[in-house]
Amino acid sequence: MEKSWLRDYIIKRLLYAVIIAWGILTITFIMVRVGPSSPADKYLANLAARGQDVAEVRAAIEARYGLDQPIYEQYIDYMGNLFQGNWGWSFSTSMPVIELIKTHWIYSFQLILLSSLFAAFLGILIGIYSAVKQYTKTDYAFTFFSFVGISIPNFWLGVMLILIFSVKLGLFKTYYDTTLPLFSLDNLKALVLPVITLGTGMLAGYVRYTRSAMLDNLRKAFVTTARAKGLPEQTVIGKHVFRNALLPLITIIMFDLGSIVFGGAYLTEIIFGIPGLGQISFNAIFANDYPVVVAVTLIGTFMVLLVNLVTDITYTYLDPRIRYD
Amino acid sequence: MNNVILKVSNLKTYFFTSRGTVKAVDGVDFELRHGECLCLVGESGCGKTVTALSILRLFDSPPGEIVDGQISYDGLNLTNCSSEQLRQIRGKDISMVFQEAQSALNPVLTIGDQIIEQIKLHLPLNYSKAEDRAMTLLEEMGIPSAERVMSYYPHQLSGGMKQRVLIAMGLSCDPQILIADEPTTAVDVTIKAQILDIFRDLKTSRQMSTIFITHDLAVVAEIGDRAVVLYGGKDVETAPVSEIINNPKHPYTSGLIECLPDISKSTGKLASIPGTTPNPLKMPQGCAFHPRCPKAMEICSHQEPLETVISKEHRVNCHLYK
Amino acid sequence: MIKRLQDIIKRASQHLHLNTRLINYYWQRTRRNKLAVAGLAFIVFLVALAIIGPFFTLDPTEANFEEKNMPPAGFVTEQSVYNIETDEVTTKEVHGTWKHPLGTDSKGRDMLAMIVSGARVSLQVGLIATGIAIILGTIIGVLSAYLGGWVDNALMRFTDIMMTFPFFLLLVLIIFIFGSNLAFIVLAIGLTGWTGTARLTRSESLSLRTREFVVAAKALGASDKRVIFRHLIPNVISLIIVIATLSIPGVILAEAALSFIGLGDPMVSSWGIILEAGQHSLNTAWWVAVEPGIMLFLTVLAFNFLGDGLRDAFDPKSNI
Repeated sequence: MEKSWLRDYIIKRLLYAVIIAWGILTITFIMVRVGPSSPADKYLANLAARGQDVAEVRAAIEARYGLDQPIYEQYIDYMGNLFQGNWGWSFSTSMPVIELIKTHWIYSFQLILLSSLFAAFLGILIGIYSAVKQYTKTDYAFTFFSFVGISIPNFWLGVMLILIFSVKLGLFKTYYDTTLPLFSLDNLKALVLPVITLGTGMLAGYVRYTRSAMLDNLRKAFVTTARAKGLPEQTVIGKHVFRNALLPLITIIMFDLGSIVFGGAYLTEIIFGIPGLGQISFNAIFANDYPVVVAVTLIGTFMVLLVNLVTDITYTYLDPRIRYD
Repeated sequence: MNNVILKVSNLKTYFFTSRGTVKAVDGVDFELRHGECLCLVGESGCGKTVTALSILRLFDSPPGEIVDGQISYDGLNLTNCSSEQLRQIRGKDISMVFQEAQSALNPVLTIGDQIIEQIKLHLPLNYSKAEDRAMTLLEEMGIPSAERVMSYYPHQLSGGMKQRVLIAMGLSCDPQILIADEPTTAVDVTIKAQILDIFRDLKTSRQMSTIFITHDLAVVAEIGDRAVVLYGGKDVETAPVSEIINNPKHPYTSGLIECLPDISKSTGKLASIPGTTPNPLKMPQGCAFHPRCPKAMEICSHQEPLETVISKEHRVNCHLYK
Repeated sequence: MIKRLQDIIKRASQHLHLNTRLINYYWQRTRRNKLAVAGLAFIVFLVALAIIGPFFTLDPTEANFEEKNMPPAGFVTEQSVYNIETDEVTTKEVHGTWKHPLGTDSKGRDMLAMIVSGARVSLQVGLIATGIAIILGTIIGVLSAYLGGWVDNALMRFTDIMMTFPFFLLLVLIIFIFGSNLAFIVLAIGLTGWTGTARLTRSESLSLRTREFVVAAKALGASDKRVIFRHLIPNVISLIIVIATLSIPGVILAEAALSFIGLGDPMVSSWGIILEAGQHSLNTAWWVAVEPGIMLFLTVLAFNFLGDGLRDAFDPKSNI
């Protein structure tokens, strides 16, 4: 009986996600078409700099991109293309956008994954400790540091880390090398500073949320019951309190992904030269390579959509109060 | 008396807060005898819950501290024994059941999980034996289809069932003493009757010694053997329940009895004790009850009354009896 | 004259239904939080710096190659000097002077002047963009809650869609498409940052409508207008103030980040641009990277402290 309820919910949620996806694509399309400079203009700026005949190229581009067609036809073409995997052509790198993305997304993924693991482990542990030891000096210190961690601009942190560790101390001079395997020692060494940069802001957030979720639950009556049973304090905190704190924590952490993590990853990749999607988008901006910038934005957005969907369903499945209603 | 199993002497539990020191329990004495149901009676804020929590040291310890007194149990002094010793007693020798069963149960764990956890902690049973024991207990408490209930979550049960589960949990390791903190307060009348039935049963079938906390004298009359009346963190009268009801000595006790609505009187106003419970941060000088006492004398406002023995089983703290 | 001014203020606060006693109560609660007060003090200092600072500093755009890469006052660095005539590279010591208390950048521009002018930019962006986002978000949120029905549904779906876009990526895309002048950056940030406010004000409005004190007021015969102005708005305002204070740092950082990656307004010396330049001269002039970053950090910290303190002060359940 419960299984079909979950299945219904999943289906409903998927349909909703499809609607949002449609909305995302449409809004992006509107922005692109409404913009003062069409993709053609941007490309033309490039070509003009290289001395080619403007009028001729413009005609070719407009034909190729269908910019001379009425808007709704362009829209249908746009949607159609996206679904067929034709995400445009990258001028600056002379390859299909989708190829560019396929070769580079893994590096962003690695950076974000490692940073999240680093932030989650440390953050949750510190948060629990901080909550249990509320009002002690350690708690105040951790709370203060989590404020600092949230407030440090992460691009400045990256630059400072480079200044201190690479320039002044001479450590971590390795650069990320795509010819080596993903998890080779050299590459991992090169990732230490970037992971700290991206992870610190996330870490501070995890500490705050965990601490607050734990504090909310530490005062509840079932904690006294657990103690009255004679359970060791470790079990009371680790099993009883933490499991209640975990549920809202998961949702907050996942939903933060879009607003904080992707922007941070973008900047971190640029500072440390990691060849991920942020880096190629950055390069594309200066080459006026329109399709790439649009594509990276869309990918980031769909990642957020996916994560929200998964988190939503997971939370609904895990919380017994929602399950059996 | 050599069937005294728990003795509380001059217990003082204070809470040191940023707004001042709250003397929640300020000198409470009583003893619990084997097989009896002892009631701790009083209005909210009189210190009865904190007294009970102090026995197992379950109050929040940064602000709260036992500053004086002794709680003798089984050769130990529970006020200063080690936390290891205390943990072995909790849930096994002395069990506590709380009011508001909804918040007293962990919402994300199943009922079975929560009972079995306690059983396995104290008794050397394997999982399936522990499970059987849990189900037997639930059935004893009158919960139908115990096996299904084991896999339920607290919010799926009704108020009465939750309270029974809590009591079952309390009994799971055959404790010598059961402390029940207002188990009938947050439930409606029919469930109240069922729960009182359970407690009556416990006395006859298991000879369980119970400390029953309540503000309701009617409940005391129904199941109590002896009662300790608390006010302002101190015990003001201790006597067998029949004495308390028929021959109350302390003005507060008589006041409480008069507040009980009398069905035989069909008209007239409901009686109440004038005034409100004292602010724990600013207790009145002398006898804590004197601002509200209809029989207050001059001495009551500056001197605390000492204990007077009325009879072998009946003690009062009041200047009226000296 | 003073009396007239007092009269005007009194009349205005009455018309706006400002409850001065309540405001004082909240202020007292905030004051007890030392970090929040420190944050407020820094913000006041920053505002003063931004407004009157430029009158006292050198011209931030004046490049002076003779004085390039000077360290802050009190520091000494070594610079390599290439002597064209002798084809030799020697090192000379450069001392910081009080003419350039924070040093100079690689083009010889005074750092202090640039930092002060950057403060102006950050504050302007912070206040205006946040203002736009808050106003837009509040209108959408309150309207959605008030009108309900399909309007509510449509607006919330739209909000969901906009919320899915990662804030920074969307911003980059918009600036890339539409161009980077400061006014437009402010507008873009405002137009992308309203979603959180919309959600929060909507849920607050919905819950307020059914809260007992509103029902009680109506039962006592209060008109709709009175209910809105005397009961609903004061409760929503405190929420809005907290949201605004906590949004400003994100906005300031967004503008700085845009400048950092080169999408900022090139006519303006934002802290982000200074930091970007500093990134390339870490070896020779580390202060160019450190100084704007410290300012950004302190500013964000200050607003976070203040916002947190305000939130606690407004929350009736927190025991201050």
